Amino acid sequence: MRSRALAFGALAVACVIAAVVAAVVAISGARNDEQASEKAVAQARPQAAEILSSGKPFAVFRSVDKGHTETFGRLSIAELQDGKPGAIVPAGPSCARVAFGAGKGICLDLLGTQMDVRLLDAQLKPVTNFTLAGIPSRARLSPDGRWGGVTAFVVGHAYAAPGQFSTVATIIDMKSGKPIGDLERDFTVTKDGKVFDARDRNYWGLTFAGDGDTFYATLASGPRTWLIKGSVAKRRAETIHDNVECPSLSPDGTRIGYKKAVSRNPTKWRFTVLDLATGKETPLAETRSIDDQVAWLDNDHLLYSDGDSTWVVNADGSGRPQVWLRSTDSPTVQENAAATP
Amino acid sequence: MWAVYTIQDSSTLGRARRAAAEGGLRKRVGGTVLLLGTCSLLTDISSEMVSAILPLYLVATLGFSPLQYGIVDGLYQGASALVRLAAGFLGDRLQRHKFVATFGYGLSAICKLGLALIGGAWAGLSAIILLDRTGKGIRTAPRDAMISLSAPKKDLGLAFGIHRAMDTAGAMAGPLIAFALLSAAPDAFHTLFLISFFIAILGFGVIALLVREPPARERVPAEKPDLKAAAKLLKGREFRALTIAGSALGLATVSDGFVYLTLKDQVDFNNALFPLLATGTAVLYMLLAAPLGRIADRIGRARVLIAGYVVLLAAYCVLMVPSAGALSLIIVLALLGTYYAATDGVLMAMGSAHVPEALRGSGLALLGTATSVARLLASVLFGVCWTWLGLQTTIVVFAGALVVAMGLAVRGLRVANA
Repeated sequence: MRSRALAFGALAVACVIAAVVAAVVAISGARNDEQASEKAVAQARPQAAEILSSGKPFAVFRSVDKGHTETFGRLSIAELQDGKPGAIVPAGPSCARVAFGAGKGICLDLLGTQMDVRLLDAQLKPVTNFTLAGIPSRARLSPDGRWGGVTAFVVGHAYAAPGQFSTVATIIDMKSGKPIGDLERDFTVTKDGKVFDARDRNYWGLTFAGDGDTFYATLASGPRTWLIKGSVAKRRAETIHDNVECPSLSPDGTRIGYKKAVSRNPTKWRFTVLDLATGKETPLAETRSIDDQVAWLDNDHLLYSDGDSTWVVNADGSGRPQVWLRSTDSPTVQENAAATP
Repeated sequence: MWAVYTIQDSSTLGRARRAAAEGGLRKRVGGTVLLLGTCSLLTDISSEMVSAILPLYLVATLGFSPLQYGIVDGLYQGASALVRLAAGFLGDRLQRHKFVATFGYGLSAICKLGLALIGGAWAGLSAIILLDRTGKGIRTAPRDAMISLSAPKKDLGLAFGIHRAMDTAGAMAGPLIAFALLSAAPDAFHTLFLISFFIAILGFGVIALLVREPPARERVPAEKPDLKAAAKLLKGREFRALTIAGSALGLATVSDGFVYLTLKDQVDFNNALFPLLATGTAVLYMLLAAPLGRIADRIGRARVLIAGYVVLLAAYCVLMVPSAGALSLIIVLALLGTYYAATDGVLMAMGSAHVPEALRGSGLALLGTATSVARLLASVLFGVCWTWLGLQTTIVVFAGALVVAMGLAVRGLRVANA
C-alpha cells in the first residue's frame, strides 16, 4: 500500500504540474495574442481606412487563420474587385460572429454563458454595447442599416428533457442602439391563419428587406422548420414556406438563399435558393452539408463558410463551388458603398 | 460541512478543523468512502468543466446548428441508464466492484483527452461524448456498491450523504474553473479539455491506487451470482416494495429544468441567470446531504425520505401561489436543494439494507435506474401536460400525483421496514 501511495503522490504532482503549465501557457499565449492583435489592427489602420472610405465595395468577415493566432477571430475586411476579394486587412475587434451593412456593424463576442453585443460605426469602431443571454449563433443587418438581427442559443435549462434547446432571435434598433424585442416573446406569428404558440417553438436566422420593415426568419417546432415573413413595425409574422433554415434575402429582394434539410435528417442540408414569387426551389452546386447562414455577394452569387474558408457558388444552381477567401468565416458584403454615409 | 472546508478553507484553523472532522468521519464511515468521495469530487470537476462549456464549444466555436446541438445533448443526457444496470451486475459477477468502477472512471478520463485531440468533426465528437457518458454509466453502480459495502450498516445514510456532498462540491467547482480559464484565455478550449483530462486522471489515480476492494462481510456464496439471481432481487418483498415506492415518487417528480422554467414564467428573471439556479440548488444539496444522512441513520431513513418529498411538495405549492418575486425564487431553490439532500443518498442507503452483499451492485443499479427512468418519464409527461393543460394546471396535477405517490410510498416503506 505504501508503494501505491507513493505512486499516487507522483501521479498527483505530475497531473497538477501539467494542468498548471497548460493553463499558464494558454493564458500567457492569449495575452500575447491580444497585444499582437491590437498592434496588427493599429498598423493596418491606414489601409483599412482607405478601403472603408473608398466608396468601392468591400467584404467584412472574421479572420480564422489558425497559423496566425494573433489575428484569429478578428473582424477583417477586403476590397472587392469584380466580386473578387483583395488582401485581408485586420480592421476591428475580436468577435465570434460579425455582420456589416450600410455603414453599421454588429460584433458578437462570448461572455461566459452570455454574449456581448457590440454595435460598430462605419469605421468599425465600437459605439455602444449591451449584453444578451446565450451563445452567439447568427448576426445580420438590414440593407438600409436600420435593423440588426441576432440569434443566440440559450443553454442552462437544456437538461429539462434530453435534446431540448432554446434559441432567441432578437431584433436590434440600430438607430437607438437597443434591442426592440425577440420573436418568441414580442411577436405574434401565425401559421395557416392561426396563432402559432407551440411550447417548443424556436426562431433563428433573421434576414431583412431594404424597405426598413420586412424581415424573414426560421421558425422551428419539433423537427420541422418554416420560413416566416413579417413586419417589424406591426410585430407580426406568418409562415410562407416549409423546410427553410437560416434564410438570407437576395439584394434585389426576390429570392431567399437557405439551408434545406434533406433525406429527413435534420442535420443534413443542401444550400437552396427559393424564388419568393413562384415558390420554385433551386438546389445549389455545393453538395456538402454545411451549417451556415449564406450571404449574397451580388444578385447571382452566394457566399458561405465551411469553418475554414469562405466559398462562392452561383445562385442559379449552375457551376461548381469555389474557394473565395481562405481562412475566413462570417462574411457579409457591402455591395453598394455609395449608400455609406 | 467537511466538503466546504476542503475546497474553500485553507486557513490553519480550517485545516485543523478539517483534520479533526476527517479523523472522526474516517472512523465512522471508513476511509474508502472518503476516498471514493474524493475520486467523485475530482471526476465531477473534470466532467462539469466540460459539460458547462460544451454548448459554447459546439455552437459558438464549431458552429453547430440548434438541431445538431440537440442531438449531441440528447446523447450526453441519455446514454447511461442501460450501461448502469449491466455494470452493476458485472461488478457482482466478477466480485470486483473496484475493477469495474475503475474502468468506468478511466474510460471517461480518456474521453477528455480525445476531446482535446479531436477537431470539430461531428461524428467523432458524438462518439466521444457517448463513450464519456458510458463511462459514467459504468462507474455509478459499482461505486455505490463499494460505499455500501465499506461503511458500517448503521452509518450508511451518513456515508452516502458525505459522498454526495463531495460529488456536488466537484460539480459546482468545475464550471467555475472552466469559466475562469475561458475569461483569461477566450479560445483555449483544447487547453480546457487537457486540464479536465489531468484532473480526471487524478481522480482515476485515487480509485486505482488508493481505494481497496471492500472485504466481504457476509459469507460469500459458493456460486457466482448470475442474471437469474439478479432478477430474483425483485421477487424479494422488501426490495420490490422499495423500488416501487422510489419509482412512484420519481413519476411525480418535476425535473429541475421544468421547475426553473416555471420559475422563469413566474418571476421573469434574465435568461442569463439560468446557470446560477442549478448552483443555488447544489449549494443546499451539498451542505445538507451529510447532516440529513446522519439524521436518517438516527431517526429512520424512511422518515427522512418521505420528509424530503414533503419538502418537494412544498416547493410545488410555492410555484402554485402568486409569485413573490425573488423571494419565491430563493425559497424554491432552497426547498429543491433540501429535497435532494434528504432523498438521493438516503434511498441508496435504504436499498443497501435490503440487498444481499453478493448482489449489491445489481440491486443498487436496479433501484437507481428504476427511479431515474421514472423521473425521465415524468419529465416527458410534464412536457406533454404543459402543452395541453398549461403550466399552472400541470403543477397542480403533479402535486396531486405526488400526494398519491407518497401515500403509496408510505405503505411500501412500511413493508420494507417490517
